Amino acid sequence: MSITAETAQEHKNDPAVLCCRLEAGNQIQPANLEDPAIFDDLVDSGLLNLDGCLKISQVLGATLTKTCDSLSPITADAVDKIQEEEEEAPALEAAPEEAPAPAPAVSVAGPVSGGTLKIHIGEGKEINIEIPMGFSGGNGVAVAPVAAPAEMKDEQNAEEPAKVVRSVTRKHYAISEVKRGPETKIDGTVLYIREGIEEEAVASQELVHELKLDIITPDKYNTYSETIMDVQPIAAKEGEDEIGSGVTRVLDGVIMMVTGTDDNGVQIGEFGSSEGILEENIMWNRPGAPDKGEIFIKTEVTIKEGTNMERPGPLAAHAATDVITQEIREALKKLEDDSLVVNTETFEQVRRPGKKKVVIVKEIMGQGAMHDNLILPVEPVGVLGAKPNVDLGNVPVVVSPVEVLDGCIHALTCIGPASKEMSRHYWREPLVLETLHDPEVDLCGVILVGSPQINSEKFYVSKRVGMTCEAMDVDGAFVTTEGFGNNHIDFASHIEQIGMRGISVVGMSFCAKQGALVVGNKYMTNMVDNNKSEGGIENEVLACNTLCHEDAIRALNMLKVQMNGGKVKAAEKQWNPNVKANNVELISNVTGKPIELVPNETSLPMSKKRKEKYS
Amino acid sequence: MKYDDKLITMEGVIVEVHDGCVGIDLKGRLGYLKIPMRMLITDYEIKVGQEVGFKMSFVEQLGPEPNLKYISNQQTYQKRQAEKQAAKETGKEETK
Repeated sequence: MSITAETAQEHKNDPAVLCCRLEAGNQIQPANLEDPAIFDDLVDSGLLNLDGCLKISQVLGATLTKTCDSLSPITADAVDKIQEEEEEAPALEAAPEEAPAPAPAVSVAGPVSGGTLKIHIGEGKEINIEIPMGFSGGNGVAVAPVAAPAEMKDEQNAEEPAKVVRSVTRKHYAISEVKRGPETKIDGTVLYIREGIEEEAVASQELVHELKLDIITPDKYNTYSETIMDVQPIAAKEGEDEIGSGVTRVLDGVIMMVTGTDDNGVQIGEFGSSEGILEENIMWNRPGAPDKGEIFIKTEVTIKEGTNMERPGPLAAHAATDVITQEIREALKKLEDDSLVVNTETFEQVRRPGKKKVVIVKEIMGQGAMHDNLILPVEPVGVLGAKPNVDLGNVPVVVSPVEVLDGCIHALTCIGPASKEMSRHYWREPLVLETLHDPEVDLCGVILVGSPQINSEKFYVSKRVGMTCEAMDVDGAFVTTEGFGNNHIDFASHIEQIGMRGISVVGMSFCAKQGALVVGNKYMTNMVDNNKSEGGIENEVLACNTLCHEDAIRALNMLKVQMNGGKVKAAEKQWNPNVKANNVELISNVTGKPIELVPNETSLPMSKKRKEKYS
Repeated sequence: MKYDDKLITMEGVIVEVHDGCVGIDLKGRLGYLKIPMRMLITDYEIKVGQEVGFKMSFVEQLGPEPNLKYISNQQTYQKRQAEKQAAKETGKEETK
């Protein structure tokens, strides 16, 4: 198929191949050339050989000296002369994710109308702006245009200080032992859970028939467990504080783990389950996973047969577990001894006027059943007060980054253990943390958007995402999703909706081999793959392929490059893990900070037989 | 894998619809698939009886050795099934 002049310009450095037969003596036009997008497949299948082929920019306007058939690469001997390139190729085809050079970019929007002066400073130093006195009448009357905007200097704007708009303090309480006892309480570093609490948890949910509570200490990591549905921090707000502000108390060294089956023994969240020996199935220390050495308070919930794939089933398992968590929260709230606090950390949302304004769009699953998330519970990662995003219609919900870190999402967690984002993932979300702490960008918020099942609904919500970003007037956006499947359709659509508004956008997903994107568009140029597995597949190891610190750094640097006008190299056709390695090296070289990569499934113990097989 | 690029077109019929998954009978009695919602691309509301299509190649063995992890999971599942069945039967007898 022939291409347009515009496409030819975009692909001026790609090989020139005729799309149809062209007689000698004709001048080569874009319409005579084939779209370079299809060359990879043709080369792979042996139908096309691009050796010695000229670039599109070299042949346009030249005259063909011999008649060529369709799909013939144009070589030097087939044209009268090789065209000089019109312009120098951009100095550096900026390597992907190269950290940006400080590029002062100041734009001053022109004349004033209605008394509003809009000055936009992308990034800059020593900017002096003076505004003539007497023009700020403030009565809305269009006043005389401001003289020579270029000369305007505004010290106030350039030096407008960063402002803390919201902060949450986390108080950590260490737990070294979990025991059963007559009441739920925290005594020093020992957590007691009331005997018989299981019956109340079962009674709270009609669909729950049985609940077993296990305390998994590190010496029991080698025992069997049903599929891990969720990993949750145990945290409570202090006094009347709400999520996203005030003080949060959290227990260190212990987590809640939800597991379960239905009456027939079928795993809840049947697909891609992670049942088996715990230590062989957990990728330790991932943001969403348990840390090695932690104690798990593990519930094994049995729900009514056949409800494991219906919406109320997984929700009941989570709600029953939360009865126990809530009782621990109450005990945590009662603590008065501040000497038990081992560590205090504060998360501040700092708005940085004048810096590039960015937003994080987190696509969360909303197809139904276990593909659901509870948004904004009363207690961190609780159930009470939260709204399932399926019931909210999956439309975008804007939250503060600090609310995300304070447990505003209770994830029912999807299928695919390696890529699903547990509740704990949001509690320690690396992209939010990295962007929040970066003084070069102004993180204005996080948009949570569900991924509905039907395509028309997917496009409905992604248009709202685009409009939200437009209203926020951001310079850059991250779009992240968990796992793969039809959620990649709306993932692509979110990126398109944001990109078409001229906003820089970086997409993050597990892709590699198995999760290759099913759709794409011209705005999907900057992508970060969350894969860590050796083979590039869903390896059934909990949280192995989720977004980690190293991915957050790559994405953040990539977005900065794009916002500052740099370019990111086009991706290779096939998944190649070296791209990540190169980018990580580039970033460490530029920033001078080494990036430590997380281990993957090869670091986990294997049974003897498996070892023999793989070695 | 040796034959993974030999794509063939398959068709099936949706026979079960749940909140989180669908069951699909492959036409010609060539098998049955149960897939989570997110693995199904839908333009319309999902209904039993709708036809679906996809491309696949043939399923190949990856090696001769069974993976012990899956064998042990399978055995655990069967053991639990048997226990549950036994518990149900004793329950019935007691009510008699």
